[in-house]
Amino acid sequence: MIGDKAGAALESFAAEVGSDDAVAVVGGRTHWEVGGSCPEETRLVRAPTGVRGFDPADMTIRVGAATPVTELDAALAEVGQRVNLPVLPGATVGGVLAVGRDDVHALGRGRLRDALLEAVYVADDGGLVTAGGPTVKNVSGFDLCRLLVGSLGTLGLLGEVILRTWPRPATQQWLAGSCDPAELRRRLFWPSSILWNGQSVWVHLEGHESDVEAEAELAQSLGCEPTDGPPPLPDYRVPTGVLEADESSGSYVIQIGTGLAYAAAPCPIPDPDPTVVALHRRLKAEFDPRGRLNPGRDPLAAS
Amino acid sequence: MRFRRTTKADPLVDDLRRVLPADRVRAASLERSIMGRDASIFEGGQAGPVCFPISTEEVQGCVDAARRHGRAVVPRGAGTGLAGGSVPLDEPVVVVTTKMNRLLSVDVDQRLAWVQPGMINLDLSRAIAPHGLHFAPDPSSQQVCSLGGNVGTNAGGPHCLAHGVTSAHVQAAEVVLMSGEAVVLGDPDGWAPGLDLRGAYVGSEGMMGITTAIAVRLTPNPPAVQTLLLAFDSVDAAAHTVSAVIADGIVPAAIEMMDKNIIWAVENFVGAGFPTDAAAVVIVEVDGLPGGVTAEADRVAELAEERGGRVRRAADDQERALIWKGRKSAFGAIAQIKPNYYLHDTVVPRTRLAEVMNQVYEIVEEHDLQVMNVFHAGDGNLHPLLLYDRREPGVMERVHAAGSAIIEASLAVGGVLSGEHGIGIEKRDFMPLMFSEADLDAQGRLRRAFDPDEMANPGKVLPTGASCADVNALTKVPEGVWG
Amino acid sequence: MSARVSLGIDPEELASCVACGLCLPHCPTFRVTGEEWASPRGRISAMRQVQDQGAAIDQAFLSSMDTCVQCRGCEPACPSGVPFGSMMEATQAELTRRRRLDWRRWGFRVLGHRRLLNLLSRLLGVVQRLRLLPSKRLGLPKIPLAQERLRATGSDVWLFTGCVMDAWQRSTHAAVKRVVEAAGAGVALPGAGAACCGALSLHAGLEDHARSLAIRTMRELEGSAPILVDSAGCGAVLKEYGKHLGTPEAVAFSERVLDVHEWLSDRSDRLPSAGERGQDLIVAVHDPCHLRHVQRAHQPVAEVLSHYATVVALDDDGLCCGAGGAYAAMQPDLAVSIRERKLEAIGRSGANIVASANPGCTIHLANAGVAVRHPLEIVDEVLDHDG
Repeated sequence: MIGDKAGAALESFAAEVGSDDAVAVVGGRTHWEVGGSCPEETRLVRAPTGVRGFDPADMTIRVGAATPVTELDAALAEVGQRVNLPVLPGATVGGVLAVGRDDVHALGRGRLRDALLEAVYVADDGGLVTAGGPTVKNVSGFDLCRLLVGSLGTLGLLGEVILRTWPRPATQQWLAGSCDPAELRRRLFWPSSILWNGQSVWVHLEGHESDVEAEAELAQSLGCEPTDGPPPLPDYRVPTGVLEADESSGSYVIQIGTGLAYAAAPCPIPDPDPTVVALHRRLKAEFDPRGRLNPGRDPLAAS
Repeated sequence: MRFRRTTKADPLVDDLRRVLPADRVRAASLERSIMGRDASIFEGGQAGPVCFPISTEEVQGCVDAARRHGRAVVPRGAGTGLAGGSVPLDEPVVVVTTKMNRLLSVDVDQRLAWVQPGMINLDLSRAIAPHGLHFAPDPSSQQVCSLGGNVGTNAGGPHCLAHGVTSAHVQAAEVVLMSGEAVVLGDPDGWAPGLDLRGAYVGSEGMMGITTAIAVRLTPNPPAVQTLLLAFDSVDAAAHTVSAVIADGIVPAAIEMMDKNIIWAVENFVGAGFPTDAAAVVIVEVDGLPGGVTAEADRVAELAEERGGRVRRAADDQERALIWKGRKSAFGAIAQIKPNYYLHDTVVPRTRLAEVMNQVYEIVEEHDLQVMNVFHAGDGNLHPLLLYDRREPGVMERVHAAGSAIIEASLAVGGVLSGEHGIGIEKRDFMPLMFSEADLDAQGRLRRAFDPDEMANPGKVLPTGASCADVNALTKVPEGVWG
Repeated sequence: MSARVSLGIDPEELASCVACGLCLPHCPTFRVTGEEWASPRGRISAMRQVQDQGAAIDQAFLSSMDTCVQCRGCEPACPSGVPFGSMMEATQAELTRRRRLDWRRWGFRVLGHRRLLNLLSRLLGVVQRLRLLPSKRLGLPKIPLAQERLRATGSDVWLFTGCVMDAWQRSTHAAVKRVVEAAGAGVALPGAGAACCGALSLHAGLEDHARSLAIRTMRELEGSAPILVDSAGCGAVLKEYGKHLGTPEAVAFSERVLDVHEWLSDRSDRLPSAGERGQDLIVAVHDPCHLRHVQRAHQPVAEVLSHYATVVALDDDGLCCGAGGAYAAMQPDLAVSIRERKLEAIGRSGANIVASANPGCTIHLANAGVAVRHPLEIVDEVLDHDG
């Protein structure tokens, strides 16, 4: 059992959010302007923090949304586990979930959105709502958790979450070179990341020692050499589909197999389908008709 | 003797037949009545006209016609759902996707396929097998269930432990909303700005729209696989071994558990070489690259032996296939014992498996029933099978009472109502045991954002619906429905 | 009209389906239509509507029942062991009682009269050659005008020759007989009394006629020698005489019946060697439904063939080809759609010839231009060249 909901802390978070004025939830301010910024006068609130329950044998962990990701990662590292969230210094668990950005390992480790099992959030009326459930598998009702990941806190303010944890791999290795990323992906069984800037490729391997060794050998035979880490990622995130084909190398990095690219300059992103826009509008109207939760932020603008 | 046609004149049918050829709108009373049920135990469904569209445009046409006549729409795939999700209530237009069963495109390099919703799960894996790829979710009904149905229930299966359930394998879905609009939710490449509408839609049990195409992620076949059959003298030892494996940092491809009763029945039925003297067996499959596979298989064997388990490793593909045949024949084996079964589906934290299983045995004994357990132990997904003969007077009351008690026991230890079958009609009225009014209200809001008038598969999942005539009708006829 | 109609289905059998749907992909008509009324689960549901709930027998019901190929592919797929074939036979019997003027009632009677059948067949052959008949549409093979006479060579085994197959494809019997003799057995041949096993009558719901054919057949094939059958449809019914007639004699009779490949594969050590012959033959084995699903004895075909050729499997889980006795003639559109799937599977297999141990299947597949032979015709040819 991974502990009960942090009743008092959540209740006081809900009370702090209240039911009247505009509020924004603040985490580590690492992605503070993603999808637009809140008006300055917006009242800021902070979610509960800390690990609330953890049973390593269940491989699930319950934490307050304001818990720093590094703190969570350190706690899990002690028992050889991890969560599939980007471990950004300063960032909070609630923050990285609300922003919903995968890190570079999404190809092999899966998407960040699948890490969230249960969320307790404060709704626009100041009430607490639980979405999902504490087990690793659950289809009880509609999947609000997926909706909350990447919603920038515009539908509800995350208070506490249960995350699925995974074993930390025994070993890992970055390699870089100038081979064809598609070839690498075909030949390697399960790389956790392949990055490509049009000229060079970076690949990350993790797992059992002998497997990483064998896969690294294979990558070397294709023209890669061990390296320390991934390249610096340019600032702007764009769908790979809109990346200009003639971008000169160094100005972008494609995260192979995830649909995501990083570009040095913003690329025009085509307008979304009007029906998609209408669905966003209706969701906002259903969950926060008065627009008091994280005003000024728009998930559709969060590239 | 002459044989009559029994189709009543119906303007809705006429309208539908302007959209679809007449033979793809079935309206005879028999054709409608046999659509009144799916694979669940609910038999009281009432279907209106049954439509078999073959394109997105035709689905839109069906939805438009239904809307003009104020009639609800129920999507249906192969009809293998176990929670009554596609049981039609109050004569809705039933839109069956079985004729939309084509593989639209495969991109081997991107490991992506576009499929129509009526394609059978296993047919997809077979079609892409030459590329060394498969579709990871493998529900036990995979040889018959449709991918559209998998999306509707967010289906799981034995091999979802490591790779995740359907939602993790759906990149995008083309959906016809009840407004008649078709929209692509998600992005086939994997990412686009905006809310995860795709994620919100998967698992919505047909209550947000009708899936007309799906972009699925394809998974490479593992280079190495090892399958172990572990036999234990007690259910506790088996369950503790499952917890120990997980706690050791191993996430096998599958961990399945079967208890004594089902082992015995399976052995009688197919002879898979399961030890009939065991109280429980656990099938563990590890896959991936050879080094990790060997290390993990060795460790699993060690953990099992430490807990008194006997270990058999499949020596080759043939033995591996035999072990899985035993697991997959479980349902067939049951028919030898009782004609009917009620298959439950709850999830408990993996560390509480032994405890809840013991409670299940007690509950079943209290209600004078027989139970067999065959389930996805690795993710704590229990599947107690209550066996009965429906002709025995009063047996259904006992079956339902035992079912409720199992659900309550699962929730009491921090479990959930359903791991992979969904809520449908079956567990709709249990939802308040797991969720508060506010929680349910939020789910209702999500649904209404997609389907403001609640015309898509009404009467399922959410117990609210006091305004909904269908639900009232249903609650009035529980005896008929609870076959 | 609303008076409750019993279809005469055993209520226990009718109650045994739990509607899980696992039969659906194994049903050829569901596979090509995707419609529930054309599936075993839907058909059982329809039977229940009529027998249990008093629904009328209407066009929709008839169409649901009459489109069934009766391949029984649903039976091995059924976890609950629902005896679908017997339920469908009961239903067809009841429907036939109601369709008194149906041509089948008289048409199938011909099958039991060897001379009459041969005469009519020859006539049909002549009409065919005058191009007065849409043969393919009717699912007919090219009917021979003259046939060789088969002669008994001993009494170790009976070779059951049957009706249509004997009249239209006697050369297959001749080939089978040569292979059996090559394996060291003398072959006895039944007289005109065993002119028809009764399968087509039974599937059309003519139970009484089928029963009288069965009694005549049993009388003719006396003694204790094994009864070898080279037509899967006939073999299936002969093996079920015990069940249908319920007499000790019938049970004992059925126990003597073997598909000829079963008998041969038990004697594989006595089969003559093929030497180098047949190596360029890549044979796809099409399992006739009544061999695979009813007799559940399809494996020996591939076993026997593998001594003489390269055998490849079809990847369609033994789905029916759509022949189904008289089905190809009665439901030509569905039969052709079903066959399309089979042709695709054959195409994928890379085979240059198809083997099928049932005359109906060979006729139906040959009409689509497939090179198809009885398995033992293929063996016979290899042996013949060798010898």
